[in-house]
Amino acid sequence: MSRSSDSGTTYDLTGRLEFDALSSVRAGSNILVSGPAMSGKEDLVRSMLASGSEQGQGAIIVTTSDRAEAVIDDYRERVPGLDESKLGVVDCRGEGGRSSERTPEGTFVYHISSPGEITGMGIGITKCLEALEDAGADSGRFALTSLSTILTYTDKKTVFKLCHVLNSRFDSTGYLGLFTIDSSAHDDQTLQVIKQAFDGMVEIREKEGRHEARVLGLAGQPTDWQAF
Amino acid sequence: MSGSDTPVVLIVEDEPDVAETYNLWLADDYAVRTAASGDEGLAKLDADVDVVLLDRMMPGLSGDEVLERIRERGFDCRVAMVTAVEPDFDILEMGFDAYLCKPIRSGQLHDTVENLLERTEYDDLLQEYYALVEKQATLEATKSSAELADNDEYADLQDRVTALQDDLSETLGGIEDDEDFIATLRGLGDVEEQ
Repeated sequence: MSRSSDSGTTYDLTGRLEFDALSSVRAGSNILVSGPAMSGKEDLVRSMLASGSEQGQGAIIVTTSDRAEAVIDDYRERVPGLDESKLGVVDCRGEGGRSSERTPEGTFVYHISSPGEITGMGIGITKCLEALEDAGADSGRFALTSLSTILTYTDKKTVFKLCHVLNSRFDSTGYLGLFTIDSSAHDDQTLQVIKQAFDGMVEIREKEGRHEARVLGLAGQPTDWQAF
Repeated sequence: MSGSDTPVVLIVEDEPDVAETYNLWLADDYAVRTAASGDEGLAKLDADVDVVLLDRMMPGLSGDEVLERIRERGFDCRVAMVTAVEPDFDILEMGFDAYLCKPIRSGQLHDTVENLLERTEYDDLLQEYYALVEKQATLEATKSSAELADNDEYADLQDRVTALQDDLSETLGGIEDDEDFIATLRGLGDVEEQ
């Protein structure tokens, strides 16, 4: 397979969040979206993918909790007129062994039996990348929700290495990676280790019943908190 | 990788002429062991072996069965399948790290063995990198930023982390290839569903 990153390519992740630091993120970057449970991390990440799909970019979603059908239904609502052949899903809640299918609308879906099955996940991602390239998407956005689930099946060492290897992989494919983690579910040291595998981070907190976010690592100093 | 400096390659091939040809090509650069059957291959396998060249079609144990036993026994050597025909199945899903189609040329054999050794090197670097990051995170979690600024161990760790990042991005061309990607993930160890 021949894909190479164009160092000039950038991704605009603004929309829901209006940070300059998110307006032109280098292709190949991996970003960790960290926040407590029920703080809208997954919704934020999917909306960041959706705005790429609206521009004809590819989208790959690895889900550890929702079934593929639910993910596709949700995504259809987010992107009116979605070209479903430019969507790939890795469903980690499959029954039985690894299998792949293509929906009647053209979405490539790969099933693995557990979020702890790292090799299967990698094969699924590779096949999604191939399917999206065949569909004419030469750039795209990737979302994995969530690392917290994978951490319950494996350990922080495995998750750190997985993120590092995916980061390297996206460097050469020119994709942009978004990964969520539940900051209330892990100790500080675990979060600190996992963070090191990323180029930048969007941190979410709840304050007086509102969600606020800030960006770290992508453009110098941490940004101020912004409600969203 | 094994303790000695010279990487060890195990050739499992039932045709003696073919096995000898591979041996001649590789003997200058690697410590080569040969086995004429799957059973003999398993008997000659130990923790020192870095790369196995495994003929798929052999009397007795097939290459697929040998691969399965290698993985069952927990050896982390890299295994290249040698076939007479282009495989019509996904070698990655089968658990092989690479495949070679007969007839094999010397340069091709060398390239494959080198690539597989580089993957092992990548795994080792990634492990070393993780260990440093974990140490760094422990210091960060237990000391204030003022304490860290004065801490020589922390400064040294930061330098080593940066150096390893560079080494990792130069190894395997930074995971440019699908097979390198899958094989590296396989090395992380799967947790199958209970």
